Amino acid sequence: MPVVTLRDWIPVALSADLPAATVIPAHTPSGILALWRSANGELATLADRCPHRGMRLSYGFVRGEALSCIYHGWSYGQNGQCRRIPAHPDLTPPAAIKAASYPTEERNGVIWIALGEPKAPPPALEGFKPLRSITLEVDAKLISATGDVRTRLAGVDVLLLIVGISGSETVAHLMVDAAATESDCVTVSRAAEGWRRECEQLGVKELAS
Amino acid sequence: MTIGHHAMIDQWYPVALASQLPPEGRTTQLMGTAIRVLPGDPVRVVTGDGRDLRVTLRYGHVWTSLGEPSKDLFDIPEADQPGRRLVEVGVVRVRCSPLRAVENFLDIAHFPFVHTDILGAEPHTEVGKYDVEIREKEDEVWATKVQFYQPQAAKSATGGITTDYMYRVPAPTSTVLYKTCPARPGEWDVITLFVQPLTEELCDVWPWMALFDDETALTDLIHFQQMIFLQDRSILENQIPRLLPLDPGREIPTRADLTSVAYRRWLKRHQFTYGAQLVAQ
Amino acid sequence: MPTARERLTIRGNLGADSFLPWVARHAARLGLDGEIRHADAERVDIDVRGPADLIDAMEMGCLLGPIDVWVDAIERSSDPEWR
Repeated sequence: MPVVTLRDWIPVALSADLPAATVIPAHTPSGILALWRSANGELATLADRCPHRGMRLSYGFVRGEALSCIYHGWSYGQNGQCRRIPAHPDLTPPAAIKAASYPTEERNGVIWIALGEPKAPPPALEGFKPLRSITLEVDAKLISATGDVRTRLAGVDVLLLIVGISGSETVAHLMVDAAATESDCVTVSRAAEGWRRECEQLGVKELAS
Repeated sequence: MTIGHHAMIDQWYPVALASQLPPEGRTTQLMGTAIRVLPGDPVRVVTGDGRDLRVTLRYGHVWTSLGEPSKDLFDIPEADQPGRRLVEVGVVRVRCSPLRAVENFLDIAHFPFVHTDILGAEPHTEVGKYDVEIREKEDEVWATKVQFYQPQAAKSATGGITTDYMYRVPAPTSTVLYKTCPARPGEWDVITLFVQPLTEELCDVWPWMALFDDETALTDLIHFQQMIFLQDRSILENQIPRLLPLDPGREIPTRADLTSVAYRRWLKRHQFTYGAQLVAQ
Repeated sequence: MPTARERLTIRGNLGADSFLPWVARHAARLGLDGEIRHADAERVDIDVRGPADLIDAMEMGCLLGPIDVWVDAIERSSDPEWR
């Protein structure tokens, strides 16, 4: 079974890690984007740079259905269009003032972002459920040439969605067998720490060689 | 951009607090050049290859230059006014362009969002018109008739007031703020940022104040200003690009940003470009 | 906010090739309708139409412009011949 990666879509977070009315930085191989969920639960992703003076929108705050920049409070809707400029409250911002937006979808508890025009929805990854995201100090290429890892941790089938975010850093979104019990999940999570250490050792060996 | 670097080389920069120089001196850098600030009478600043730099002591700080300043350090007459408390806040390192540190200090539209419930609060976010000029004789940027409503504008304020402000840029990386003094109506409290450029993307910021306030403990005055500045630091370290754009082609300055635009024009005219981005990217 | 119409008269050292395209791009980023009415190395006139706060923003941007241009001043008049 081909593992996940069409790579039209990049997995960036688990749904459980993005509650309503929050914004987080989404790490992709092309850089950081501002991923947020509105008060009503709608997901959106915008370029991580406010068009006003370049402040990272991932440092902003979500209020209602808009993401506001922390610097001067410029607010953006899910399509990236500026809705309000607090220093000029009587101005309706023109459609031209906007932050780039990216298709965002969540499926089976994983949030995916597309950097271009996706040809299909993100994969469902049936048979798995999300457990946690792990950051590793190692080049993704040392973990997997194909992009994702199917293996067993603590005797349980797992799928790790691998995203290289720099030459020395990787994010892995860990999915476990959908039938895994609560206690399985705890032991898998612990085993994942061991897996992380092994991967990071590969990096250390690589540097030394 | 070598020509621009030369222009900023002949300016004065803060490099230490005179009262806090350890016996072995302070090792630091100025625009990429390693220097040591040595206590003594007189205080000396020397480069790695033993060259003595020009030194002046003012506003509690040791100031130096890698070149030959054509005039003395700018004057702040309020520093000599009887009854004023002179407050050395102490250095804060910021991973940003020294020019960005100044520009942020000149900005008021961020008060309700970055300094919430202290220097500003929603819904009082509108920025009214104010005046900005480049004073030709002193060659300084001045913004006057600036007003903003504040819930707690100073440690000595007991409630919300509309605060009057003036901003002044007397040197490329130094800025002076004059604000309504709650304890002495008619006088201005003075708050400054003296910025030491370590590299184009790293600076040491030395805030300093000259206030009329006989009530508040010194440590509280210092903590208040440090708290404000640490809130600004999280902005300064997360603006893209790191360098200060002199071409706003990828930004949208509005009328509320007039002081920042005047500062950038003044930098551009003088070719003060250490820490600046010339082409918008 | 009602739509205003103004002429921005930009004066300075404006001869660089970069300036007119820069001005057009900035107006577009603000969603302003505008036309360049006059352009030489020392003066550029632009007629713009849009909300007053955005015309202010256009002035702010043009006071800086690209690096190879120096703007001395911008005059604004709200009674251009253009209709």
